Amino acid sequence: MSETSRRKLLAAGGAGVAAGAVALTVAPAEASEARRTSSSARESVVAYVHDHRSSEVRLMVGEREVVVHDRELATRILNAAGGN
Amino acid sequence: MSSHREAPEMAKDPVADSTDVYAFVSPDRPNTVTLIANYIPFQAPDGGPNFYEFGDDVAYDIHISNKGKGRADITYRFQFHTRIRDPKTFLYNTGPISGIHDPAWNRPQYYSITRIKDGKSKVLAQHLACPPVNIGPRSTPDYAHLAGQAVHTVGKRKVFAGQRADAFHVDLGSVFDLGALRPFQHLHLIPTPDGSGVNSLQAFNVHSIVLQVPMSEVTRNGIRPTNPAKSKSVIGVWASASRRKSRMFDKAEGRYRGHGPWEQVSRLGNPLFNEVITPMAHKDMWNARAPHGDAMFAKYVNHPELARLLPVLYPGVFPHLAAYHKPRADLHAVLLTGIPSGVVPGFQNFTGSVESDMLRLNLAIPPASSPNSLGLLGGDAAGFPNGRRIGDDVVAIELRAVAGVTLPLVDPSFTPDGAAGVLTDGTTDTNGGTTATFPYLGNPGGGYQTDPGTSAVS
Repeated sequence: MSETSRRKLLAAGGAGVAAGAVALTVAPAEASEARRTSSSARESVVAYVHDHRSSEVRLMVGEREVVVHDRELATRILNAAGGN
Repeated sequence: MSSHREAPEMAKDPVADSTDVYAFVSPDRPNTVTLIANYIPFQAPDGGPNFYEFGDDVAYDIHISNKGKGRADITYRFQFHTRIRDPKTFLYNTGPISGIHDPAWNRPQYYSITRIKDGKSKVLAQHLACPPVNIGPRSTPDYAHLAGQAVHTVGKRKVFAGQRADAFHVDLGSVFDLGALRPFQHLHLIPTPDGSGVNSLQAFNVHSIVLQVPMSEVTRNGIRPTNPAKSKSVIGVWASASRRKSRMFDKAEGRYRGHGPWEQVSRLGNPLFNEVITPMAHKDMWNARAPHGDAMFAKYVNHPELARLLPVLYPGVFPHLAAYHKPRADLHAVLLTGIPSGVVPGFQNFTGSVESDMLRLNLAIPPASSPNSLGLLGGDAAGFPNGRRIGDDVVAIELRAVAGVTLPLVDPSFTPDGAAGVLTDGTTDTNGGTTATFPYLGNPGGGYQTDPGTSAVS
């Protein structure tokens, strides 16, 4: 197992995880870099990266769609989707 | 048809599938306009145990354009929520349903109405009750009573939302078998003996939203129109259905959860527009768009595929139509701009140059005392394409129009072929019919009372 993959715990098909889904836990050091703000969403959110070459991330929250252009966020989502 | 399962994606989503739209001056309350949007096609009345109902996850809209731009200046939005009274039973009803609040009805449905104007929303009513579906004499012994209880008064408006008999009629089995019209099929390229039309919607129900509002509520200047020649007398009407942009399946609850804004997945203005004008590859895209962007579909109106097919399917019957290659200015007016003044004496329903598929209703034209089901083609300016009444035979009207009957109105050099003026699929409404008063559509057929039809392989 590579160093990169050791930093994350991948669990597929385990208890409480839907078949075909992958649960990914980011190491605490990485997670702590982001902090919630007072306007942070307090409900479920769906993130959509339509074009993997773009920096655009679309967030579905409530009855709104928030379009974010954030290369780092898009890259982190794509990397996470790739399992690393 | 007229928009039942008309697009490939929408055919997989019947709860959001708009099937017919009607807009007419109320014959019994001529200071009001009645707007009807039907959804959920081909409901077999005996389709239990989970009978048909509106979608709690769908926003159903009726739109009014009164400024000539093909945009929704006023929208009435209907949103539904469904209860399960007793989660321990599989039954839709646990006994006879004697009223719409009867606890024996295990799955009552309610709705809210929101009026959206100039970007501002106002909730007009909440927790309005729908009737149950018509199950049979044991479960819904007095269906007319149940339906009557579901007619609500909201200010000066009347509203009903629930199951009705589908009043649209068409011979789907015939027309989609290479354009056959049974009364004329001995003339078809593949001839068979003539026959009577078969109403493919016979014995099927739909779910209807029926809204009656004072005319002054939907006109540009807030005044009831009295002069048919005035542009302010005309409104555009269409219906749509929207779903949340993202749906995630919640395995724990066994259902989808919506996220994000409402996105339109279905719309309907003129009957049969998306059905027979729009090419299949564009139908679902058309459904997701608003009327004001319909210029991109104008080429399909100006040169409709059906007008090219008729002379091929009926060899020698439509020589004049076959020889006509200019853009169809008549269909363009009827479907995309409205008919301007000077084309039909004493009549106009022109909404401006913005090409947009809408029903266009001139509110200053009073209801006909003896309606002609051929509407304007039959000399009755109170009928389609001036809005659409329930009894208008839109299949025959549009068949004749496409075949060239309306073309001389804008191109006097054209003489329609003899057959054009008598085209019909040969069907009539064989369901619940209409009523003289609100909600006008007849009671739905009951499950117990319905005999399945017959089918044959060859």
